[in-house]
Amino acid sequence: MTAQTIVLVEDDPTLRMLTARLLQENGYAVRTAATAPEMWIALEGVAVDMIVLDLMLPGTNGIDLCRQIRRTSDIPIIFISARGSDEDRVLGLELGADDYLAKPFNTRELIARIRAVLRRGPMSDTDGGGGRKSEIRFDGWIVSLSRRELRSPTGAIVDLTGAEFDLLGTFIDQPQRVIGRERLIELSRTRVGDSSDRSIDVLVSRLRRKLTAAGGKPPIVTVRGVGYMFNAPVSRA
Amino acid sequence: MNLGRLRAVGSIGLLGRIFIILALVLATEFIANTYIFDRASQFALREDEARRMAEHLVVARRVLDRTPPAGRSATAGQLSTQHFSIVWSPDQEAAFSSFALRNLQNQIVQLEPELRRSALHMHLRSLRQGGDIAGSMELSDHSILTFTSAQAGQIWSLTFGRILTWVAPTLVLVLVGGLMLRITLRPFRTLMRATREVGVRDPEPVREQGPAEIRALIHAFNVMQQRIHRLITSRTQALAAVGHDLRTPLARLQLRLDGVDMEPDAYQAMSQDIEEMTDLLHSLQIYLNGEGATIPRERIDIAAMAQTLLDSACDMGQDAIYLGPESLEILARPVPIRRSLANLIDNALHYGGNVRLSLTQEDSGAISIIIDDDGPGIAPDRLADVMQPFVRLDDARSRNTRGMGLGLAIVSDAVRAEDGIFTLENRPEGGLRAVIRLPLSPS
Repeated sequence: MTAQTIVLVEDDPTLRMLTARLLQENGYAVRTAATAPEMWIALEGVAVDMIVLDLMLPGTNGIDLCRQIRRTSDIPIIFISARGSDEDRVLGLELGADDYLAKPFNTRELIARIRAVLRRGPMSDTDGGGGRKSEIRFDGWIVSLSRRELRSPTGAIVDLTGAEFDLLGTFIDQPQRVIGRERLIELSRTRVGDSSDRSIDVLVSRLRRKLTAAGGKPPIVTVRGVGYMFNAPVSRA
Repeated sequence: MNLGRLRAVGSIGLLGRIFIILALVLATEFIANTYIFDRASQFALREDEARRMAEHLVVARRVLDRTPPAGRSATAGQLSTQHFSIVWSPDQEAAFSSFALRNLQNQIVQLEPELRRSALHMHLRSLRQGGDIAGSMELSDHSILTFTSAQAGQIWSLTFGRILTWVAPTLVLVLVGGLMLRITLRPFRTLMRATREVGVRDPEPVREQGPAEIRALIHAFNVMQQRIHRLITSRTQALAAVGHDLRTPLARLQLRLDGVDMEPDAYQAMSQDIEEMTDLLHSLQIYLNGEGATIPRERIDIAAMAQTLLDSACDMGQDAIYLGPESLEILARPVPIRRSLANLIDNALHYGGNVRLSLTQEDSGAISIIIDDDGPGIAPDRLADVMQPFVRLDDARSRNTRGMGLGLAIVSDAVRAEDGIFTLENRPEGGLRAVIRLPLSPS
């Protein structure tokens, strides 16, 4: 298997060099770019598996750049911001970036995110034009995968922990199907940067509690001795 | 003059002062005119009064001229009436007073030119003597005749009427002047209001209006306001830039550190240092840029938000308890509110070792979030300080003070932006209590 290719767009020369070296050491082929035009050149003539993009490039707003890339391509993007603010994160994810990392990041974190995004592949349900439909509905609830946000039937944002959101993601991916506890535990283990060892049952009960607090019937049912099932009809819009 | 009275004078507004000055000037002028010059020289009687007096004097002079000196005294008595007495005696002196009534004198001479040769002299008698008009004139043989017109009441009413006619325009002037002054000074009031707002909100230039001096002042104020705004902005930007620009070198440092083969303990310690610096920069950026403040208000489930934060703390092995409903929706900016709750929960866990969050909704619809810990609390005299930015209580809670002392300032700003109230207090049973009160639907 040939090495996967990552285009690294970063304006600080030293950081670019350090990051590139790091990626190479981890088995990726790296093409670097300091500016947006350089990035377009780096994207030419070769199959690129991912772009790691610094948001604050000189001359171009990284968010605009992200939008431009998305117009033509579904290539996974991880963007790196020196602002570390929630607005940037939400905006970037909204515009179709696959993940977000704040400076400074450590090697482990960066590699883990890259692996996770590459494994996941391009976000599901693209409709050819690059526009991503990442909203999923059930019982009036809306799950936004890009924003990692859950909204109640009344439109209120309902916070979930990272582990809870991932669990919900797993459930709505496979509705009306019994998912074994072992499988859920296995999936929660692969979560990036989660040191929690809460049992899956606690996570399920918390999620169930939040989904029924507003008074509906619980969409997650326990299948005794096997695991759990998400039994609400799921639609993707 | 004692200090108290000075202060009382000092408390009079500009308008009041100008009024007082105006009034004093007018009063001084009026007194001077009336009692020193006018009363003496410009005093004149109404036409008919003067004519009557002139005729009386002419007749008296003719009669007495023809009467031999021996009978003059008696004749003078007969010529006298109730209001006008005439006295003749051979050795009388001409009357003299400082309040000479030259106007009246001329008026009478003009009416009866015959009196021109009689050395007519008229004056106003002092109030003590009845305030009457008195005078003297010579007969053809140069003997002196004196007379007194007893019409004090009439004169006074005349004088009063005259004063009124003088004062009325003055009063009108004062009123019109006051009104004009009020209008003139109006820009001052606008300026004063604007001054109170400097630094609180974005500068809005005050309209340059009013007299030249005020215009100049407003102009200077507007320039100053811009300057202050620029200063604040550039400082904020400088701090924000520091926060931003330090992240790249920190990222380099982290990656270099990751590339070095070193003892795990040393690596851990250095990583923690970098992490701490990152946290400092993060809180600085949040404080300066108001994280998420530009995102509009949304419906949020505040109960789910609090539970999520506390569950995460529990998962990290912390003592965190939630008391309240499973779900409670409010309208607020999610990011700053989440940050505020997180800061208060972190503080409680850090300084108190545990946290208890209770969420309640009052009958009015307002909600209150109470965050308690069982720690040492804060010295009562420092309670107000800790909400100020960059204030750290290094002495009191010195176990391990982290951060730049922005956590509570961030909470304070965020809650204010939601029209809420944030308070801190020591609980009687020990420990700190932080309370956030939010209106259900902020206006």
